[in-house]
Amino acid sequence: MGLLQRLATLLPLANHWLHRFHGGVSPQYNKSLSASQPLRTTLMPSQLVLPLQQPVGLPAEPIVQVGERVKKNQLLAQAGKDPRKALIVPIHAPTSGTIEAIMPMTLPHPSGLEDLCIVLKPDGLDEAIDNALQVDGSAPQTPQALKDILLQAGIIGMGGAGFPTYAKIPSEAGKIHTLLVNGAECEPFITCDDLLMQTHADEIVRGALITAHALGAKRILCGIETNKPAAINAMRHAAKQLQHDNLKVEIKEVATVYPMGAQKQLTFELTGVEMPSKAHAVDLGMLMMNVATYAAIYRAVTLGEPLTSRIVTVSGLGLEKPFNMPVMIGTPFVELAEAAKPKVALDYPLVMGGPMMGFQVQNNQVPVLKTTNCILANPPEPAEMQMPCIRCGACMDACPVNLLPQQMYWHAQAHEFDKVEKLNVFDCIECGCCSYVCPSHIPLVQYYRHAKSEIKTIKAEQQATELAKQRHEFKLARIEREKEEREARLKAKKEAVKQEVAAASSAATDAAKPAKSAAAAAAAARAAAARKAKSAATQAESPAIPPARLKAIEAAKAASARAAKQTAEKSPEKTQQAGAEDTTLDAKAAARKAAQLAAQKRAQAKVSGNIEISDNKESANTPDSKPDPKAAAKAAAMKAAAQRREKTQQAGSSQTAEASTSPKTEAIDLTGSSEATPASEKEAARKAAMAAAREAAKARAAAKKQPVSEALSAAEPGASSSEVAPDPAEAARLKREKAMQAAKARAAQKRQAADNSNAASDASSQESSS
Amino acid sequence: MIEAIIVFLGLAIVFGLLLGYASLRFKVEGNPMAERIDKVLPQTQCGQCGFPGCKPYAEALAKGESEVNLCIPGGTEVMIQISEITGREPKEMDAEAAEPKPKEVAFIDEDLCIGCVLCIKECPVDAILGATKQMHTVIQKECTGCEKCVPVCPVDCISMQPIEITTKNWQWPEPQTVQEAK
Ligand code: SF4
Ligand code: SF4
Ligand code: SF4
Ligand code: SF4
Repeated sequence: MGLLQRLATLLPLANHWLHRFHGGVSPQYNKSLSASQPLRTTLMPSQLVLPLQQPVGLPAEPIVQVGERVKKNQLLAQAGKDPRKALIVPIHAPTSGTIEAIMPMTLPHPSGLEDLCIVLKPDGLDEAIDNALQVDGSAPQTPQALKDILLQAGIIGMGGAGFPTYAKIPSEAGKIHTLLVNGAECEPFITCDDLLMQTHADEIVRGALITAHALGAKRILCGIETNKPAAINAMRHAAKQLQHDNLKVEIKEVATVYPMGAQKQLTFELTGVEMPSKAHAVDLGMLMMNVATYAAIYRAVTLGEPLTSRIVTVSGLGLEKPFNMPVMIGTPFVELAEAAKPKVALDYPLVMGGPMMGFQVQNNQVPVLKTTNCILANPPEPAEMQMPCIRCGACMDACPVNLLPQQMYWHAQAHEFDKVEKLNVFDCIECGCCSYVCPSHIPLVQYYRHAKSEIKTIKAEQQATELAKQRHEFKLARIEREKEEREARLKAKKEAVKQEVAAASSAATDAAKPAKSAAAAAAAARAAAARKAKSAATQAESPAIPPARLKAIEAAKAASARAAKQTAEKSPEKTQQAGAEDTTLDAKAAARKAAQLAAQKRAQAKVSGNIEISDNKESANTPDSKPDPKAAAKAAAMKAAAQRREKTQQAGSSQTAEASTSPKTEAIDLTGSSEATPASEKEAARKAAMAAAREAAKARAAAKKQPVSEALSAAEPGASSSEVAPDPAEAARLKREKAMQAAKARAAQKRQAADNSNAASDASSQESSS
Repeated sequence: MIEAIIVFLGLAIVFGLLLGYASLRFKVEGNPMAERIDKVLPQTQCGQCGFPGCKPYAEALAKGESEVNLCIPGGTEVMIQISEITGREPKEMDAEAAEPKPKEVAFIDEDLCIGCVLCIKECPVDAILGATKQMHTVIQKECTGCEKCVPVCPVDCISMQPIEITTKNWQWPEPQTVQEAK
């Protein structure tokens, strides 16, 4: 090993024999710039900017008001929904101060987009809430207990990706057998982990032990690159002192090669297990976290401190005095860079992260995030001329993931994204080795990043298209289904009417007794009467008068008397037409009102009860449901009106029953032909018929839907005050029945009067037989 | 001679039966070409092609009853794919917009909405949520941007707006464009 290392200093190629993974590069590290300086004390910034949106997951929801004074470690924002699903971590105040605003600010993101941030104005007192997480300081015994604390503490991966740590940890104990500690800080310039290991080695080791204990891990491996001898020593020392029931942290030196700190590469290096393309380390029983994350875990578990600060390297060739500093999350980049005495004015963009994987921020005011390990101030260099690819294969040799960078580049620039994807572009860790070695200075990583986002967009579009198709087809199917249902309902109703006819004819034999069957009784009665009328016309001679006839006459008289009570005195002939029209309008309005009420009620019930879209749609999409009762009611009212008009005409001309088909017409004829009946009684009979029609319309609307009945009862005129049923549906039915009986009676009387014979009984007997 | 005739007749019958059986046994449900065309159509369901949705257009294309260049949201790209599937000559888009505009989604001004439910009926993908006399809103994730709901609104409260770019859907620019910009 030693020999190899010495050889490597002479022969860069020999570097490849020092580590297990393929490729890698050895760039100019420039680490001594900041590593040689001691850790500086925290700078109190003029303002802190805390984005609600973390690198991963959905934005948190603020729970503080603008103008509110907060203390250090106070909770500022948290997950509104189930945080376990949405990967939201809470945000805490890094120091005491006043919330100045909650407004969109530029994010430290390559896009330079703005998003909502909490702006905190520090008051300089740094008043803290001790043990803000209210922990008892004991080590959690189960993974779940640890996860709960980590979630509350808002700890996310501090190495770079920023994946919430609580979500990374499996909830079953014993699933992780090896815990890995990533101390291989491989990017040039960055030394924050180096300094953390030198100064807080015990916290890292304790954090690792706590985690291993909670997860039931058997082994803890810590990989540190050989270019950090001070850190290795400090960690070795701490590990020796803090041995924990058979559990100790094994410190392993790993070769200094970029990208040693990448998760898969370091895992391979430490354990010899090469991770498959799509697998996660957790699936293989290994869990790797950054040293800073372990330190944060320690502070959260034993001190109850949420994650509100981290060590940040402020370095770069443009700075006089680079340094490392524990920085409050939310400190603007520019204030830190200014503290490092820039050589020239900072009119160039700062870089978040290292020179290999970092990105230029769009605005130097952007805040430090939990994942910000370095702020780099490198004055812009003249961009190297990009030349065509010469197919030298250097990128392929450098790629630590064994990809084919040149092939991917080729297809990416030709926009053949499916081919790029086939070349496993999603396994690319964007380490930048390929761009670094490319003699043609092709910004290869840029192509892969672009290709990745293109592929993601294409996938999302495909999904959206598929969804749109499904939803459209679903909608068509729904419309079809509703149509069928409507037809089925109509058919069922027709059936019911037919049955009613049969029932009605049998009931006509005993008209005084209320019939039991309910649905569409009036319609049935009308139909029955019509048929009876026909038969009466054809069968002039009929044998006997049944006792039912007498009863029917009585019933008709009773009905007309009731109606007469209701009706004001009107002049017999002239006002007939007007009265009929009035009532028609009444009936129509009532029916429509009832239908409307019903529709509204239904809509309300659905809206409140069911927010599921399709159902909601159904209720709102009333073409099917709404018009149903309305249309039925309208139709009924119109029919009734037509009949009434016919009736009045006939009454005027004193026509006989032969030509008529409507029961009401017959009823009027009946009253007209019975000598004793005065004109006012005629009118009353007509009114009764109208009431019957109105009720019929309502009854039909009621039959549509259950909830309608209530609305109906409210809309009903107090025509029949004798029966006050508690149940509105029952009341409606009773009314229908009465109307039916009245109609039947009228029909019977009419027939008798017209033929002066016993046609009615014959008709009814014929009806019942049919 | 007679044997040959018998043998060939027998063979003809056997193969005829085999083919007949196969055509029943391996019958393909639906029209595979229509399915394939439907796959490449944008599924905006906007009806600009003159059909009530993408599928009817795909079916008409498969039957050879319509032109290949009618899908306006799909543009030339989709037209070429259609002509490849149907094996017909590509045709210039006649009504193509000057340049393909970025995808937009409908947005309902909730202060103006009167809850008339007209837009709900119009939306081909049920992306509008609301009820009678209640304020309506568009589920942006599901809106295809077909613009069918815009004209039906009696109070003109629906507008088409480009999708907001967030850190979630932001795309890394292509390197060339970066260089040109500089
Ligand atoms: S950026 Fe991607 S392709 Fe290039 S070397 Fe790194 S992993 Fe390989
Ligand atoms: S290193 Fe550059 S020039 Fe060489 S093959 Fe790769 S992309 Fe082409
Ligand atoms: S024009 Fe295109 S997107 Fe619109 S319905 Fe027709 S096929 Fe679908
Ligand atoms: S909301 Fe409007 S634009 Fe969007 S899919 Fe529905 S009808 Fe089309």
